[in-house]
Amino acid sequence: MSSVPTSSTPTIGGFEGLSDLKLVGRQVRYEQLSFWLNPIGAAFTIGFSLVFLVLLGASAGNSRIAYYGNIKLVQYYVPGFVAYGVMAACFNILAITVVNRREMGLLKRLRLSPLPTWALLTAIVLSSMIIAAIQVIVLLAVGRIGFGVHPPSDVGAFVVALLVGMVSFSALGLGMSTLVPNQDAAGPIVSIVFFVLLFLSGLWFPLKPGSGLAQFSSYFPVHHFISAVFAPFDIQKAASPWAWHDLLVVALWGVAGAIVTVRRWKWAPRRN
Amino acid sequence: MTAISVRHLAKSYGDNVAVGDVTFEVERGEVFALLGPNGAGKTTTIEILEGFRNRTSGEVETLGVDPSDTKTQRWLRSRIGVVLQELAVEPFYSVRQVLSRNAGYYPSPRPVEEVIDLVGLTEKSDARVKTLSGGQQRRLDVGLGIVGNPELLFLDEPTTGLDPSGRRATWELIRKLATEGTTVLLTTHYMDEVEALADRVAVLSKANIVATGTPSSLGGRDSGMVTIRFGLPDGVEAGDLPVAAGTVVEGLVEIRTEDELPVLHALSGWALERGVRLPGLSVARVTLEDVYLRLTREDQ
Repeated sequence: MSSVPTSSTPTIGGFEGLSDLKLVGRQVRYEQLSFWLNPIGAAFTIGFSLVFLVLLGASAGNSRIAYYGNIKLVQYYVPGFVAYGVMAACFNILAITVVNRREMGLLKRLRLSPLPTWALLTAIVLSSMIIAAIQVIVLLAVGRIGFGVHPPSDVGAFVVALLVGMVSFSALGLGMSTLVPNQDAAGPIVSIVFFVLLFLSGLWFPLKPGSGLAQFSSYFPVHHFISAVFAPFDIQKAASPWAWHDLLVVALWGVAGAIVTVRRWKWAPRRN
Repeated sequence: MTAISVRHLAKSYGDNVAVGDVTFEVERGEVFALLGPNGAGKTTTIEILEGFRNRTSGEVETLGVDPSDTKTQRWLRSRIGVVLQELAVEPFYSVRQVLSRNAGYYPSPRPVEEVIDLVGLTEKSDARVKTLSGGQQRRLDVGLGIVGNPELLFLDEPTTGLDPSGRRATWELIRKLATEGTTVLLTTHYMDEVEALADRVAVLSKANIVATGTPSSLGGRDSGMVTIRFGLPDGVEAGDLPVAAGTVVEGLVEIRTEDELPVLHALSGWALERGVRLPGLSVARVTLEDVYLRLTREDQ
């Protein structure tokens, strides 16, 4: 039988070194467990991007895009859905999960445990990044084997684009969660914002440079992220695999998401 | 030693006063109950003590530190346990998984198997949380409150929604924790819970404390009126009794007195001498519920 621990001197509640890193690692494991223990949710998350790619890839056939150096349409779709997979995991799913947890009182409960806030949020973001990475690998494999799509010409540029996108869209997902008033609204609100932006940002069809839609979507992070992921796949000779301008816009949106998160974050259900 | 010290605590949201002026202390090892109607300020008070909400004014110490001080918050949270009023457990984990996860947050947790046993979920330890009944989820919730081996446990209406056997089991658990030296602050609507568990009780009404004391002395219970009741024996008129009969309704005599011993002595001597019985004889002090209802009348 255990006894009640005795008090020692109060310590500062900040970072406590290696043991805190272990704490984050442990929390990531439980976040993953929670995700995979809901197999329907997991299958939908992972499967959605794959189904889209297969359907669109098959219907595109040998179509080519005239204003992108006449590359095959499917060569555009693979990075497009890689970007989609990252955004779905880090923005859409993350925001909905956080709202659900908040409204169920689970965040409040964690707030009253010694798990530090930064450790919890880091673990949530890392767990979303793992889910995103799994999708990326599956999509690349299907693109390569099913459609003969070239792998990224510059792996470094590809990975950096993914990391910037994962972190930024996670910050936006956390920010979005603070704007959703209740559990019932979480799915509809987040999904509408997400899919409207996707539609306007050239996921299903490449935006014609200089068009009104391209101008409109240039204010939002989605189109820039798709462009940044596409750049390392672009097999035109002159194109650079590093889309710095696009990544900067994505990162700025990420900063905005982080600011909204810090200012509006609530642990208790909003219904109270 | 003092586990909780509250002096002139106040909390308002704009013009809405949630806690008016609350002062009380809880000693280490004590089971202290906050009793009061809905909206009296019980949960707000307890959430300020946990460090979940900030106060508007007043002084508060929980285990010797200010719960709103972010520098000591992590230290404090590793030494308190909390069971919230609303049920909050992750649906997809198993009972053992969610307890193991939370145990890992604390420096010296109670062994998970021991917690499962204490809250009576041994047979359900591998079941998914979402398959548990409401009462079982509530017990798991209590398990999450004690898995960190807290010095101080906050229980916000811990038995609401439990069936009678579940309530008794939770009471047993709270008594056991108290025996081990855990300080317990609980809120409740139930008088029997207060009488069964609490060393001391404070009654909150309209955001203020209206009485503090032991359950048996609250509101002058131990020195107030006593009611003696019995059935009038066959063939005996009220006028034949050796004492003033008070009221007689349908053969039931009710005598109210502040000094019950001489009355009982006279009655029992008379009955023995006459060879009659006093059917259903009872001696009752004011119940805790009577006191509570009087104290919180303005809040009803």
